Amino acid sequence: MIKSPLKSKVDPRDGKLAMAHLYVAFIALLVGGLAGLLQVLVRSGKFQLPAGIGYYQILTVHGVVLGLVLTTFFIMGFQLSVVSKTAGTFTDKQRTVGWIGFWIMTIGTIAAAVMILLNKASVLYTFYAPLQAHFIFYLGLTLVVVGSWTVGAAIIMKYAEWRRANPGQQSPLLTFMALVNTLMWIVATIGVAATVLIQLLPWSLGWVDTVNVAVSRTLFWYFGHPLVYFWLLPAYMVWYAIIPKIIGGKIFSDSLARMSFILFLLFSIPVGFHHQLLEPGIDAAWKFLQVVLTFAVVIPSLMTAFSLFASFETFGRSKGAKGLFGWLKKLPWGDARFTVPFIGMVAFIPAGAGGIVNASHQMNQVIHNTIWVTGHFHLTVATAVVLTFFGAAFWLVPHLTGRKLTKKMNKLALIQGSLWAIGMTFMSGAMHAAGLLGAPRRSAFSDYGGSAQAAEWIPYQIAQAVGGSILFIAIILMLYIFINLAFFAPKGEQEFPVGEALHPEEKAPMVFENWKLWLGITVLLILFAYTIPFIDLIQNAPPGSKGFKLW
Amino acid sequence: MAKAELKSKTKTEIEDSSSLKGTLASVFFVGFFIIVLWIGVYFLYLDRF
Repeated sequence: MIKSPLKSKVDPRDGKLAMAHLYVAFIALLVGGLAGLLQVLVRSGKFQLPAGIGYYQILTVHGVVLGLVLTTFFIMGFQLSVVSKTAGTFTDKQRTVGWIGFWIMTIGTIAAAVMILLNKASVLYTFYAPLQAHFIFYLGLTLVVVGSWTVGAAIIMKYAEWRRANPGQQSPLLTFMALVNTLMWIVATIGVAATVLIQLLPWSLGWVDTVNVAVSRTLFWYFGHPLVYFWLLPAYMVWYAIIPKIIGGKIFSDSLARMSFILFLLFSIPVGFHHQLLEPGIDAAWKFLQVVLTFAVVIPSLMTAFSLFASFETFGRSKGAKGLFGWLKKLPWGDARFTVPFIGMVAFIPAGAGGIVNASHQMNQVIHNTIWVTGHFHLTVATAVVLTFFGAAFWLVPHLTGRKLTKKMNKLALIQGSLWAIGMTFMSGAMHAAGLLGAPRRSAFSDYGGSAQAAEWIPYQIAQAVGGSILFIAIILMLYIFINLAFFAPKGEQEFPVGEALHPEEKAPMVFENWKLWLGITVLLILFAYTIPFIDLIQNAPPGSKGFKLW
Repeated sequence: MAKAELKSKTKTEIEDSSSLKGTLASVFFVGFFIIVLWIGVYFLYLDRF
């Protein structure tokens, strides 16, 4: 029997690096959350921004700071922690690489944030050309991406070292998962790096006059969809490999978890066209192909749902639960480390179902560019993912800072999760409903010249403001808990929960660790899905567009 | 007769402890939710386009 290499505690030096990432992430939560609150208030029609601040400026702050900064920094900090815990402490060289990556990302973030706050880059979250930002904004975002590659390199180096030291053995599950997410991220960010470096930077610097809009949007969404899986996979790491330990149960199947991650690596990327279903210039056949691939990526999510239910039921029945749903009662509802991510899991059911509607080619016309889409990703990333990250922070932060999650903080955390659920039900529910009635997304308050249809949306916009305000209270509560856990909670040892498989004797096939094979298939799928459309977009391009600054 | 009853009771308990029928019901619920939402929007689509 091989001894588990699991360390009881993450080395403090690695902990410090991970915490550096988490500090930036939670500062981003405050700034981005405040911008979100202002947005819903403006859209209620009862409030106007002071001092000439523009709606589209705070929209850009909200999207970039939460969608790119909070997520990327939290994920990097989280992945560094799980790799250090399960594959062993980073070497000094690896840790230095991690720190260099952290500082590159942080400098890039500050540069981009300053340009947005100076109102030189109100190009919305997707920074769609021909909206043109100051070149420092694009440069800053490039640094964020390059920095994330550098942090990713530390994870890859650690994984390679582990494989060399343990030949013929499967890597620890959480390290394997962090590696898959890192590889997927590197392949995906090549798209955004390409559009920024080849198109947007030279254009914003005035070196070229025009930009091929369709190519830039296609490169963006080549990156933009795997980006959502880059957010989701760390949440799945918690759901698959950590929550079972928290509830006192087992991972239903180690092999199933690995296989679902491999499927995400293969199918997350060649699917960007489902964000462009209503765009001209891309042949419907290629859109259809990517719709089919999008439906392929539903499969590993459904596998995840099955695995989680099975993990919960097996645990409940081992505690003597009876009946069809008796096992639900055995789950530790008083433990915020479980309950807050569980709320996220529940939210992922309507979130995923809505995503299937969005990706259904022609049906996309019903919801395209409506606020339904905003409602959709506030369930996916802003509930399922974020509540899971918060749930992880409740043990990760005190573990890394040598403190303990107290009963009082646990209680506050439960209140925080419940407030989030209530606020999001109002906000996202109203967004979905208004979207079906045609209310547009990415737009400030307007009564559209007294149109009767626009008047129908107003009550929903009020409901969004109510929900958004409740969410902001939940954010403040979360920041209070974070600061407590980082600086003020009593000293002690907080467990880093790492689940064990129900059948540890069942080894996953080693082919799962064959990266030449998986990256090879990933690249082939990408080439298949994108080569001809790109040739079309470049060969048959209309004249390029000059830059616009509409704010 | 008594012996038979005892046997069947034990059997049920063994089945119950490793049963995944709640999981089956749960994944069916998820599938059902996806289908209902999809069909709902599909008819909205047919109605509008």
